[in-house]
Amino acid sequence: MTISASPPAALEPAGTDTGAIALAELIRDARAVGPRLSRRNGEDAISVAGLCKKYPDGTQAVQGMSFRVAAGESFGILGPNGAGKSTTIGMLGTLVRPTSGDLEVAGFDVVEDAKEVRRRIGFATQQAGTDDFATATESLILQGRLQGMAKREAAARARLLLRIMDLEDVAERRLGALSGGIKRRVDLAASLVHLPPILFLDEPTEGLDPRVRASVWGTLTELRRELGITIVLTTHFMEEADRLCERIGLINRGSLVAEGTPEALKTTVGDQALVIDLGTESSPEDVARARQAVSAHESARRTLVTDRQISIFTDASAALAPQALRLLELAGLTTRSVSITKPTLEDVYLHYTGRAFDDERAMDLKRADDELERAA
Amino acid sequence: MTATRHVVLLAGRALVQFPRNPILLGFSVMPVLMMYLVFGALFAGVADLPGFPTDNYFEFLAPTAVLLATVPGIGNAGVAVAADFQTGYFHKLLTTPVSVGALMYGRLIGDCLRLAAQSALVLLLAIALGGHIESGVPGALLMIVLGTLLGIVTFGVLSANLAIRTKDAAAVQAIQPMAFLLIFLTSAYQTTDHIDSPVLRAIINLNPAEYVLRAMRDLMLTGYDWGAIATALLVIAGLAAIGLPLTVRNYRNAYR
Repeated sequence: MTISASPPAALEPAGTDTGAIALAELIRDARAVGPRLSRRNGEDAISVAGLCKKYPDGTQAVQGMSFRVAAGESFGILGPNGAGKSTTIGMLGTLVRPTSGDLEVAGFDVVEDAKEVRRRIGFATQQAGTDDFATATESLILQGRLQGMAKREAAARARLLLRIMDLEDVAERRLGALSGGIKRRVDLAASLVHLPPILFLDEPTEGLDPRVRASVWGTLTELRRELGITIVLTTHFMEEADRLCERIGLINRGSLVAEGTPEALKTTVGDQALVIDLGTESSPEDVARARQAVSAHESARRTLVTDRQISIFTDASAALAPQALRLLELAGLTTRSVSITKPTLEDVYLHYTGRAFDDERAMDLKRADDELERAA
Repeated sequence: MTATRHVVLLAGRALVQFPRNPILLGFSVMPVLMMYLVFGALFAGVADLPGFPTDNYFEFLAPTAVLLATVPGIGNAGVAVAADFQTGYFHKLLTTPVSVGALMYGRLIGDCLRLAAQSALVLLLAIALGGHIESGVPGALLMIVLGTLLGIVTFGVLSANLAIRTKDAAAVQAIQPMAFLLIFLTSAYQTTDHIDSPVLRAIINLNPAEYVLRAMRDLMLTGYDWGAIATALLVIAGLAAIGLPLTVRNYRNAYR
């Protein structure tokens, strides 16, 4: 019997020493910019009320969504493919026009004052939009200058960000010749060049290797902590949502179905999960019989089946475990292993959407692209 | 002021791209120069016809060659916009305070400067082939401006709208031959007086490009004909009044 309670490893900001020094410089630089980026605890950076989006083809992508994100907070949007994640973040970032509802970002209406919103946001799109003919440095400088920065200031900021993202070696190479992962980091750096108070990230670390991903998480965490940058992100990585997000909004079929801190969401599923592995030799009928047997127990709040595993969410797993084993034995079923774990975000996801995350993930990238495409 | 700054920055971006895309530069300059040389040599005898305005056919053909550089050449602006859609960079730019108008004009101006340089090459070749620009350097510049403006309000508008509609660079490139049709249905290779077919003459007279070409040819062969220049500018302004607001509106509707 095992209990998974290991805390997440500490996040290392900026993967290299050079990167860490650059990040510290960036933070000093940002503080010198002035109070625009100071943390404003308690104020809403984003306010969404009754948000709806219906595309011309009749697809109701988002319906009646309401939530708030405080300044300096990190908020994750999770949901199955086609749930409306990209449409939602697209509306927040002024790329998609809402059909109805009130949507304010940085205190400005996203439809009426889109330009003011854009001055205050950075947006790393899922497609990692980069100019293939430009170098990474040029790309960042242009982004900064379009945001109103002086050339020298933008160039200095670009140098820092490229060091933070460990992109110094490719800084002067054309982006068209670089890999998708590098382009994504350049896009992320470009979103930060003007140090926006609000950052939207649509699948920010998709396609990055684990080392770089951890480094990006560390950098984002550091920037949020030190500068109070508000972060809203969509992600396919449960670990990413767990580590980066103070709060998570789970959306399904265009509606917000659950919202809260990762821990609070996990407790809605149960304090603990008793996971019974029936082994590869068990048949689907065995799994169905086992599920029926254990779910009848009074302390089982909910059961979920993934492959040959049955997860029983309960507040009393220690008491339930021997009884569940006895029930399975009576039913003539053998078990390979039994473990007690804390519910994960994946369990939460399954609970609220009724769908396995891994099944969704492969299709989700394309679907999100389609959502933006439909917006066009 | 901010909008102007954005236009300048985006035009600069386009200008930086050109030398890095030798295929674009090569294939937009070389065919025009080749056509100029080949058609000039092939139809040289036309200059011997009674009443023909010059005895050097290359001189007559130079304004046509300028249009062959500018009108199809501006289509690259639409191709570039479609490519930005395909790479996702258009989205990226839309998340900055840049207006859609600045996005569009920045790209067009960048391409116009490239086309102006290419047109200047054509005129230098005309001079090298014994041609003479009657209106001098200012007239040559005016000729380039007229040709470039016609490119913007015709094919520039068409390709930009097609780019926003299809978001497909190949689709925008596919309409390139239409630009040649627009030019060929003018007095590009022959004065209208020497064209026998009344139907063709009627079509030519209905073609707005013809009025711009006439003004350019006057600048090349006879000097400043202010009436012809005013007519050309009116034609360009009329086309611009229809095409540019429509294009800006289509761009605004793209992601809003």
